[in-house]
Amino acid sequence: MTQLTVIDESGSHSLGRLGFGELGVNAEDFAHSTGWTLKPEGLCKGEVCVPVRDAAAMSNGESIDVAEFARITGRNMVSDSSRNVVALGEPASRRATAMATLDAPNFTLLDINGNLVSLSDFANRKKLILAWSSW
Amino acid sequence: MKEWATKEPLSYPVLIDTMHLVADLYGIVNVPAALWIDENDKIVRPADSTPASDMWRSFSGVDSSVHHDLLRRWVRNNELDMDADSVRSFQVLPTNEVQEARLHRRIAVALRLQGDESGALEHMDKAEQLAPHDWTIKRGNMPLRGVDPFGEKFMEFVGEWSAAGSPGFKLGTGREK
Repeated sequence: MTQLTVIDESGSHSLGRLGFGELGVNAEDFAHSTGWTLKPEGLCKGEVCVPVRDAAAMSNGESIDVAEFARITGRNMVSDSSRNVVALGEPASRRATAMATLDAPNFTLLDINGNLVSLSDFANRKKLILAWSSW
Repeated sequence: MKEWATKEPLSYPVLIDTMHLVADLYGIVNVPAALWIDENDKIVRPADSTPASDMWRSFSGVDSSVHHDLLRRWVRNNELDMDADSVRSFQVLPTNEVQEARLHRRIAVALRLQGDESGALEHMDKAEQLAPHDWTIKRGNMPLRGVDPFGEKFMEFVGEWSAAGSPGFKLGTGREK
């Protein structure tokens, strides 16, 4: 089966492509890698649900359209459909609003030993973030 | 890098951020950069270009000891050199173009890992057209293109960036010129 690479803040995910909408992928794969599931109450991730007016436009149950998902959740999307890659990210306005709260957003990345490390692992401590490049 | 980081035991983790997620979350426009987060997970000093040493001082014009002294005062005495409004005023907020450029860059990185060099180049070009003055994008792409990030192309970029009014450089801790 053709795979669609979906890139978001949690990483790069290879999802089974299904013929539905603009960028249909296996809904189960999508839920597993992004955390978002379409339920009767809306599009849900954990406790958070976003109401969806036209659920049928986004999903036929088996498949979910990543493009429609991006529109409904207000995400930026850049896709290269001929190469089967799509990237989802935050629009500038939403990022700016989040930055202005001064709340440090959590992130999880692999360290050089291959272990997952999160900012939240260092709760209740002062943290210095240094960004650099090995070139 | 792993060789360096494992030479002696480090007391802090070294994370790999190929997709530049932290730059996106915190408004980092260049490396090296530092930012501070307090015990309550509040950003108390925004991302700022702050070298670890004076190795590049003649080029950057930054006295690294200024940031180090501020850092010691915060860690030891809880003294902050700016309030919340100052932190906000020195944050570099993204533009629509930069946010879109980041996505093209991520696609380029993913395509490169898949062995699609021409696809990667196409998306690197798009990212740079959208964000021609963002160091993390323009200079960050140089090694991916096989271009020396300290060479002629880099100096050309620095010239263009300066001529555009050094966009994105707001705080400049320890800068002498």
